Amino acid sequence: MNWIPFELHTHTPHSDGRHSLLEMCREAKKLGLGGIALTDHNTVSGMTEAEAAQEETGVAIVPGMEWTTFYGHMLTLGAPYCEWRDLGPEDIHRGIERVHQAGGIVGIAHPYSLGSPICTGCHWEYTIKDWSDIDYIEVWHEVMPSYKNHNVPAWNLWTSLLNEGYRIPATAGRDWHHSGQDDSWSAFTYIGLPEPDDRYSAESVVQAIRRGRSVISMGPMLHVEALAGDARYFIGDIVEDSAGRLSSMRLLIQVQPFAAAERYGDRMQVTKLVVESNIGELADRPWNEQEAGIELYVPLEGIRWLRLKAMGVLLGGWTTIAFTNPIYVNREQKNETEGETE
Amino acid sequence: MNELLTIEGTLTPLSSKTHITYQFHIDEPPARLAIEFQYSPKVLEDSEISRPLIMEAIGKYVDPSAADLQKQQWERFTPLQNLLTLSVDDPEGFRGSAHRHPPEQRHTLAVGSASPGFIPGVLPAGIWRITISVHCVVTPACTYRLSVYKGRDAE
Ligand SMILES: [Zn+2]
Ligand SMILES: [Zn+2]
Repeated sequence: MNWIPFELHTHTPHSDGRHSLLEMCREAKKLGLGGIALTDHNTVSGMTEAEAAQEETGVAIVPGMEWTTFYGHMLTLGAPYCEWRDLGPEDIHRGIERVHQAGGIVGIAHPYSLGSPICTGCHWEYTIKDWSDIDYIEVWHEVMPSYKNHNVPAWNLWTSLLNEGYRIPATAGRDWHHSGQDDSWSAFTYIGLPEPDDRYSAESVVQAIRRGRSVISMGPMLHVEALAGDARYFIGDIVEDSAGRLSSMRLLIQVQPFAAAERYGDRMQVTKLVVESNIGELADRPWNEQEAGIELYVPLEGIRWLRLKAMGVLLGGWTTIAFTNPIYVNREQKNETEGETE
Repeated sequence: MNELLTIEGTLTPLSSKTHITYQFHIDEPPARLAIEFQYSPKVLEDSEISRPLIMEAIGKYVDPSAADLQKQQWERFTPLQNLLTLSVDDPEGFRGSAHRHPPEQRHTLAVGSASPGFIPGVLPAGIWRITISVHCVVTPACTYRLSVYKGRDAE
């Protein structure tokens, strides 16, 4: 598996961004990104510049758009323009259907940003009748996302949906409008792809995001593999044990430092790893960079999903530095009173 | 350049979250279309009007635990702004939009080029639509003016 860091929420002068696609890709390359998604507000015309920018910088460009509507901002990836102007606050599933029909996926952008008239349509107000229609949620928005107030309820929303049984991946998005003096750090979405060159295939990237094959991080890559029975599972996979034959699985955990070293030193350091799940914390371990990795045995009883979270020092504060999307468990759960929600 | 259309109108806050679409016919494919669009005022200067709007938005959108602090700093969110954006559809479908803040805009569409936000290509004869998306009007009144021109060559 190749884990390629992507920036999934960007703008250019085709909407209200202040850097051209080429300028942004040059900056992306300096940051160590392997790809970006171009998600201009309500237009796709910026893609006319994509071939040249990708050619010069090697940064992969995934076509997308940010539906910048009156009732919420919705990111689309891998689809051409799809119509939004005829939809009201109860109609979002019709809009999602259009994107899905066109081969794309949808993600709720910054669900808890302030809305109109402070930021028009920025707070998610569409009625969602079926959460399984939502392909991802931008849980970390803007630079220094773990310190941003509006990302706290987004994190909680995501976690409670997981607890209800929905398998919705999280992403990060810088909402990148200009490359300039602002040296605040953004988070990356590492996307797991079978081959390194798969990043140039929008379809492969979209597939990987849809199935939650991704890790959100300020730098270090979190590797988690689950070994259950004879099978090996990666982030985003579903551990199959529908007959309930297995009692536990083995987790192999590694923290891989980020290649662009200026984000390291004492300014960013992972000091603790937490394994979270629908039944609470499964493990809580100190971590230092000298360690090779951690092996854990986790009982499968009651577990529907688990994710790894890395905590530590980030520019003088102590916060979440990275988290994985879940590994899910499909298992007949004993003593369960509530039914499956999905 | 031949003028095809000029419209003026006045909006109030009640027009927030509405679209205004002008539909017109182009009989012969032109080499170029130019669109001029402006609206005014852009910002709401009156803090008597801004303050309750900001307070209401904070009350509605911010978690109660953080709302009081935000309300104390309500002036951070001034000045509130009107936002009208423009999009274009040709007889075949979507031809682009300009989602950005400047209240005076000029856009052109031609076979080989187009202004940022718009998609270059042939300009077919038939029914065209220009839509003003009124994301937000906060001032008591907001006037807009839209003009469309067609040109023979890509001058
Ligand atoms: Zn947005
Ligand atoms: Zn955005």
